[in-house]
Amino acid sequence: MFFVTYLRRELRRRMRQAIFIALGLALGVGLVVTVAAASAGVKKAESGVLSALYGVGTDVTVTGPAPGPPKPGSTSKANQNDQNNYGIEQGPNGEPEICTSNGKCADAAGKTIDQLTAPYSGISAWKVAEAARRPGVTAAAGGITLTDNTTTFGHSSSSLPQSSSFTLDGVDTSKPSLGPLSSASLTSGHSFTAADADAGVAVVDSGYATSKNLKVGSVLAIDQVTFTVIGIVRQPQASSPPDVYVPVARAEAMSLYAGSLNGEVNTIYVAAASAADIPAVQHEIAKLLPGTTITTEASLASEVTGSVASAAKLANDLGKWLAVLVLIAAFAVASLLTMAAVARRVAEFGTLKAIGWRTRRIVAQVVGESVAMGVTGAAAGVGLGFAGAAIISAVAPTLSATVPGSSAAFSLAAGQAVGPGPAGGVPRSPGSTTSHVVAVPLHPSVTVAVIVLAVILAVAGGLLAGSLGSWRIARLRPADALSRVA
Amino acid sequence: MYKLTGVTKLYQKGRHTVPAITGLDLTIADGEWLAVQGRTGHGKSTLLNLLGGLDRPTDGTVELDGIGLGALPEIQLTRFRAEKVGFIFQTFNLIPTLSAAENVETALIPLRVSGADRQARVAAALDSVGLGDRAAHLPSEMSGGQQQRTAIARALVKEPRVVLADEPTGNLDQDTRDDIIALLDQLWRERGLTLVLVTHDTAIARRAQRVGVMSNGRLAIHQATGSATASGGGPSARPPSR
Repeated sequence: MFFVTYLRRELRRRMRQAIFIALGLALGVGLVVTVAAASAGVKKAESGVLSALYGVGTDVTVTGPAPGPPKPGSTSKANQNDQNNYGIEQGPNGEPEICTSNGKCADAAGKTIDQLTAPYSGISAWKVAEAARRPGVTAAAGGITLTDNTTTFGHSSSSLPQSSSFTLDGVDTSKPSLGPLSSASLTSGHSFTAADADAGVAVVDSGYATSKNLKVGSVLAIDQVTFTVIGIVRQPQASSPPDVYVPVARAEAMSLYAGSLNGEVNTIYVAAASAADIPAVQHEIAKLLPGTTITTEASLASEVTGSVASAAKLANDLGKWLAVLVLIAAFAVASLLTMAAVARRVAEFGTLKAIGWRTRRIVAQVVGESVAMGVTGAAAGVGLGFAGAAIISAVAPTLSATVPGSSAAFSLAAGQAVGPGPAGGVPRSPGSTTSHVVAVPLHPSVTVAVIVLAVILAVAGGLLAGSLGSWRIARLRPADALSRVA
Repeated sequence: MYKLTGVTKLYQKGRHTVPAITGLDLTIADGEWLAVQGRTGHGKSTLLNLLGGLDRPTDGTVELDGIGLGALPEIQLTRFRAEKVGFIFQTFNLIPTLSAAENVETALIPLRVSGADRQARVAAALDSVGLGDRAAHLPSEMSGGQQQRTAIARALVKEPRVVLADEPTGNLDQDTRDDIIALLDQLWRERGLTLVLVTHDTAIARRAQRVGVMSNGRLAIHQATGSATASGGGPSARPPSR
């Protein structure tokens, strides 16, 4: 085919210039691919953090307001003690005493106190169904977040009390795709089924299971209620997972007995019909549940700080503009060099016009040469992009994300010491939730879409350069072109 | 037959209007060899450009077989050049990256001749100018005479009615010049071409049937007594025009 022969010969003649143009485009395209890959990697890391925090499938999380001061009726149980209402106070000699609400106190020595507390106030369970009926909502599930604190007092007044705690989530077993278990992966046993709604079964986080030597089939005591472990799960790294999951009905019963919640839930997980519906759903829920805290992935994302956020900002701002600038420079260089090449070939094009070549045929030839350089640049650019992504992957330090405590991720670190406190146990509020730092490895990913974009950009660069050259050819009068040779 | 009536061509050079041809009337019969002489800048090349449809007159008409070239739309003028006119340039104007055969082939591209036919016609054209064995050579691998022969093959491969040659021997040595002129003479005789040849060389001009001398944009025609006329050439002696 004559077109190809002519194109090939011309590119071979201008080999150095063709390589220079192709490399310029390759550099621009390679940078775009690298930045896009890094950006995608950062976004992936960020969304990994967020999905771990938030749970896959959950769009809006509603938590009850922070609890007020402990109520006199708040209850817990101390073994070896059948009093229901008590607090820990200091005795006349400085020793701890367990005091009931009617003012009777007894020496705490040798006793163990098990307190089940809720970090959020209750939300009426019927509000869950009400939330599910709101426009834009596809599903809603109630949940209960609790903390079990155990304090053991020594027999001597001089020995310090030993405290431990673990976190407990009551989950709606009929909606496994919503709530804290949605992002967990099962490592052994099985998760809840709808039939477990009121069963004495528990799913345990792998970290907690290891520390407490729990296996599938182990029996776990929570606030003197026993549960059989049916599954061990692992949550993504970024989250602060609850230690134990039990059916929400069981959690509700325990919290009712403990006095921390009055037969209510304290968390609602909501799924929206689409991402576009989330703001409207958020608005609807706010109207339905005034005073609650409503968290969306977007609001959570804005609270993620640390180098992952800096990297995202860097990739989005500096990286993007750097890539755009290099691309513009590459386009400009390609265009100028093509214009210069056309200027040098005026006699050639004039001759072709003289012997009857139509302008569009000559233009096609020149554009074809530019596009060939663009395609070469695209191929080289994609290769450079892959190399850039690999280099970033190899040398980039592991990013860190400082993530806020959230309703879904809310927990106190397992084993956190709990000292003696007022009756009602250790109060928790959203304000006191722990932020924590997680390491997020950055793995730039070159996607098919990015490759397609790169090829389009490079070919567009070639087309632009070819078009500018073509504009000059179209204006060229053969008599003028030939007169410059004579 | 070419008929030029009252042709004027003016060029705008900055703020000045420069006349290249002024009020030219000329008739060129089919199959005629017209040589055009004159000093540089007196309108010879402009005349060729007008005859070849590379330029349009500022005033007057240039007709070939009654069709005014100046009034043709660009696309038809391009078609006219592709089909009817062969150009031969002083500097050969070969495309340096293409072989002799490919350079000749460029003239057939606008005519949409099929690949096989193209190859056959290119080979025949190169044979006719004595370059059958140089088809694969690049211009840089050929002498000036061979390059001009290639250019002549390119002009003739489309089997045009008219060949316009602008100082075709201007860049050649004496021997090569004689070869090229002999070749043009032979092809003109064999093919019944209308040949308009611009030259500074009086010896070459004498071979034409008529000689026109351009001076200050005006053409004075003289009857030549050279070989074309002496050997019985000329329109009446040509094979029937196509």
